[in-house]
Amino acid sequence: MASFIIRRLIALIPVMFIVLVIVFSLVRIIPGDPATTLLGPGATQQQIDALRAQLNLNEPVVLQFYHYVVGLFMGDFGYSLKTGQPVAAEILARLPATIELSVLAMIAAIIVGIPIGVLSATRPNSFFDHVTRVVSLLGVSMPAFLLALVLQLVFANYLGWLPVSGRFSPYMPVETMTGFAILDGLLTHNFQGALGAVQHLILPTAVLAAFLAATLGRFVRNTMLDVMGEDFIRTAKAKGLRRHDIVLNHGLRNSLLPAVTIIGLKFAEMLGGAILTETIFAWPGIGRYMFEAIKNRDYPVIQGTTLVFALLFVLTSILVDVLYSVLDPRVRRKMG
Amino acid sequence: MREILLFLRRNTLAVVGLVILLLLVGFIAIGPLVTSYSPTKLDILHKLAAPSLDHWLGTDAFGRDVLTRIMYGGRATLAIGLGVVVLAFAVGVSFGTVAGFAGGWIDSLIMRIVDAILAFPALVLAIALSAAFGPSLQNAMLAVAITLAPQFARVARSQALSISVKPYVEAASSLGLPAHRILISYVFVNGLGPLLVQSTLALGSAILQTASLGFLGLGAQPPLPEWGADVSANLQYVRSAAWVALAPGMAILLAVLSFNLIGDSLADWFNPRRRSEID
Repeated sequence: MASFIIRRLIALIPVMFIVLVIVFSLVRIIPGDPATTLLGPGATQQQIDALRAQLNLNEPVVLQFYHYVVGLFMGDFGYSLKTGQPVAAEILARLPATIELSVLAMIAAIIVGIPIGVLSATRPNSFFDHVTRVVSLLGVSMPAFLLALVLQLVFANYLGWLPVSGRFSPYMPVETMTGFAILDGLLTHNFQGALGAVQHLILPTAVLAAFLAATLGRFVRNTMLDVMGEDFIRTAKAKGLRRHDIVLNHGLRNSLLPAVTIIGLKFAEMLGGAILTETIFAWPGIGRYMFEAIKNRDYPVIQGTTLVFALLFVLTSILVDVLYSVLDPRVRRKMG
Repeated sequence: MREILLFLRRNTLAVVGLVILLLLVGFIAIGPLVTSYSPTKLDILHKLAAPSLDHWLGTDAFGRDVLTRIMYGGRATLAIGLGVVVLAFAVGVSFGTVAGFAGGWIDSLIMRIVDAILAFPALVLAIALSAAFGPSLQNAMLAVAITLAPQFARVARSQALSISVKPYVEAASSLGLPAHRILISYVFVNGLGPLLVQSTLALGSAILQTASLGFLGLGAQPPLPEWGADVSANLQYVRSAAWVALAPGMAILLAVLSFNLIGDSLADWFNPRRRSEID
């Protein structure tokens, strides 16, 4: 197992190198002199020179890249042009909010998506199957901001059941310990605060989960239909096993393996959706941080958040591979 | 042609998708010729008017007819989607086919770059790139095309890998045909099917992504009508005049849905295991 993970990590080195080149280039492809553009029209020559020195812009490009990468390994993501604070610290402070939201969305999508896929596969081409197909295509085609808008209008403005946006209720703030709102509420025995945090989570979680649930439901349905046509299912039927035993123990178990991959890949894609969702719901995570950086043309922050999203993406894919090899020993033998 | 009719007869959802698409195209092609309103001219006296016989979908905060803006915005949105996919197809398929056909270090190099681009969530990379290029419609298109090209490259490469070992390719190369002719006339042409399915699905993503960039202020700049940008521009009035933001949003949904309905059915059709189930 350890050698499998090590091989997987080594294979990543060339990919991560190109990822770093792309992120590094983001500031360099800005038309004109980066330092002048970054600081805007009102900057003095002194400020421009200081920024050029800070970004090592006076050195050859290869050396600039070297300094950038060495800095990253030391945890130096540069400084925000807006606040002057280190980007790494600002990202770390916002990371829990994004992780809380996306992990909950993933769990919600799994709880909704997998049963729908299984039910559709057991009744292929039935009315239920057609309805779920249309609904899942709707889910994949829906712009996140439209779904968010509709949910806000219905559940917050019209019915008044849930808060429109934000992370905490202003009357019941939660003291920050771990950065995870619900957990902090429970740890500090502030149950009202934790409940408020849950209420604030529902709408953004639903928006973020919709896309993943739709994809997952469709995917589980298709793989399950393939699996249900296999010989071992016929054997199980011939042995006289009960239908739900066949569906759950033979069909679902073998369809879940490919589903792990798709959950991993789509989870990472969902992180991209977090930018839109967090912006609309004023959710204080790294997605909204990136959006604000774009508005302020705060390039070090754009670079930092882009890199963190890519890292989360790559880490998820490694996790998926490891999980896959744990679940299916054949993969480990083939790849390790 | 018979194949197309058979496909449509067996795939109700594809027909639904095609009908939605044709209606949308007809609407944005003919609409601007019929409407008496301008998409950009201000009419502050009639701002945020509710839907009526004069303004079927009401007016926005500047008094512009929402329906007219959707018609013109649709022209931009569909043209952008098409442009992005053509660009992504051209770049992705060229590199993917060459990688699969050439093999060796060329293949390794191209595929590592593809992997690196795929290591970013597509929307994040598109946002970062268009922020760096500077906010404009052309730059947004370029950014989205860059994130979509790797998918085409992957499909084209696997097609090229399986086709380049076929007997007819061997025959062509033993006849002494130059590599570039084999590449275009045999490898590329015979691998087109899955690439066309990929294009239909990519059209949906291209529209969704450019609309998202527009929504974040990185795509079309005001007063140019574009669906994504129109949703975000009207967001602040949504509590009193929901139609101004919801209508362009619904237009995006319909356009993306129509391509996904067609693409999803095509993907099933080209997959032998799935196809037996449709039959």
